[in-house]
Amino acid sequence: MRNLVVIAILTCASGAAFATDTPPESAPAAGPGRDLFAEKCGMCHRSTGMGTGLLSRRYPKGQEQLEARTNLSAAFVTTVVRHGLNNMPALSRAEVSDPQLTRIASYLARGNQ
Amino acid sequence: MAAPIFPPGVSARQFDLATAEFARAIGSEWVLTTDADRDSYADFFSFDGRTHLASGALAPITTEEVRELVRIAGKFRIPLWPISRGKNLGYGAAAPLLSGSMVLDLSRMKKIEVDVANGTVLVEPGVGFYDLYDYLQQHKIPLWLSVPGNSWGSVAGNALDRGVGYTTYGDHTSRICGMEVVLPDGDLVRTGMGAMHDAPTWQLYRYGFGPAWDQMFVQSNFGVVTKLGLWLMPEPESLRGFDMEFDRPEDLEWVVDVIAPLRRSGTLQQSPSIGNWLRAASALTTRKDWYDKPGALPDSVIDAIRKRFNIGWWSVNVRFYGDAEVTAAAEKVVLKAFAGRPVLSQKNASWTRGQPREQTAWTGVPVTLALQNANWHGGRGGHIGFSPVMPANGRLALEQFHRTYSRYQEYGMDYHASFAFGERHITNVNQVLFDKDDVAMLGRVQQFFHALVNDATAQHYGEYRTHIEFMDLVAGTYDFNHAALRRLNERVKNALDPHGILAPGKSGIWPSAYAKERGNA
Repeated sequence: MRNLVVIAILTCASGAAFATDTPPESAPAAGPGRDLFAEKCGMCHRSTGMGTGLLSRRYPKGQEQLEARTNLSAAFVTTVVRHGLNNMPALSRAEVSDPQLTRIASYLARGNQ
Repeated sequence: MAAPIFPPGVSARQFDLATAEFARAIGSEWVLTTDADRDSYADFFSFDGRTHLASGALAPITTEEVRELVRIAGKFRIPLWPISRGKNLGYGAAAPLLSGSMVLDLSRMKKIEVDVANGTVLVEPGVGFYDLYDYLQQHKIPLWLSVPGNSWGSVAGNALDRGVGYTTYGDHTSRICGMEVVLPDGDLVRTGMGAMHDAPTWQLYRYGFGPAWDQMFVQSNFGVVTKLGLWLMPEPESLRGFDMEFDRPEDLEWVVDVIAPLRRSGTLQQSPSIGNWLRAASALTTRKDWYDKPGALPDSVIDAIRKRFNIGWWSVNVRFYGDAEVTAAAEKVVLKAFAGRPVLSQKNASWTRGQPREQTAWTGVPVTLALQNANWHGGRGGHIGFSPVMPANGRLALEQFHRTYSRYQEYGMDYHASFAFGERHITNVNQVLFDKDDVAMLGRVQQFFHALVNDATAQHYGEYRTHIEFMDLVAGTYDFNHAALRRLNERVKNALDPHGILAPGKSGIWPSAYAKERGNA
């Protein structure tokens, strides 16, 4: 589902439509970092996720999707994943191992050169 | 570096010896005892982050590793707190009830075996709803999941905590069919037909021969479930239904009385949930956008939020699944029951096999958007659940609403609740939303929760599930014959787990070894 095509969703009763569960167009072709991001983070950080929904309240359109951001550093991503931030709980090393997190962080930081 | 945490009565040396042996069993990289490791198992959404702290975690990947870890834990008297994926948000997440316990993190155990012809799956505890959904999609298997409103968690873990979803398979624990369980002494048992070697009916017939034990391992601390069988819904030919909004709080009474007989008769196979305006609004906006004063929101602000998002005071989502003729006929009967009633608005839903699925829990697609409700206060939000079980009766539901609503106002909290149908009962699911940076509000949560439990107990309504902080409180309300059920549970616990190493205190069940921790953990 984290790689599916565009389908609008409805919240419980509001009728407010959200966008898709696909990566943004700026995301690179499939690779280990992107695949791991989809597996470990996609439930909240692709378009139908809680994280994207909340970030859309604070960031301009397009920037709510982490894969489209150009200001993320690998160190910042690692810190947030291990310690949590706002609504996001910390993720353990059993859930995302250190080598896996390194690849995810590198993927998300690729635009911050 | 923070001071290390040890289980009660366990010395640093004893703990070190145990962790060394754990490392020999599963590899040192999966024995997680750094400060950051411990923090990652804390209950992130709790109102008091200083409690229920783990001493570390163990992350096995096979049943044999689980068996070995349990044996070692028994040898060194290290209490273990098993978790599937640790996403039981609102109920303690990954955190152990007894501080100093080692979390037995099963999230790396992710095997999936689907029996397509029979519509069943056998999952390990680490399989999340997204994992299973992806598996079914990638293999083009025409089976649907039933998912909870927050689908981040484990398929097995959710069923083992009696979680619910929104399709006709929404009572997840009732769809369990067969388990594999590691007992506290390391022995391994398979329940139901699984007790027979290689039985092809393990996931087809629940009971086997003689006593059936599946529910014994649900919400309990009698074993570690390493495999769980579950029935899945064959992809229906059609889906129909409607979303209705209702204008007044008092509408709850007649809505319950319209739906309850349809649910009892089986005309309505799905279990609808009547949710209040904040259930919808908390996923769309934050409180500070509307009101900056303490205390429960006044009616004028509630009205403004409802108007902005076009939502009722209550709403309900009803769905039918199956052959097109059947769903059309069932919907017609149910809509007839609503005829002439003061429905504020109605929106219809329909889907036919071959069309793309709406990405919602009603179509069995995993979702996490509802988790946005924890951000209702903005910043660092938290929430806990309060969920008493009551009869499916409109008058009683309205009384429960008034009683509970008054408590929310008394304690200055915003009312977030739903009345979720079973076949014969309603669960009044309350989300207590709070701001983790509001010290005054955090200070009220404990007392508020106790008041809610006391009010429900006065009506003889018990909770079906609760946060680890309140397990003793809730267990104490099940008081027939001097707490005979608790005494039975603890006799079983002490017989199976004489050292009390598995999840001491879970569901209020304390082994003798930790009896003095009751009410203090």
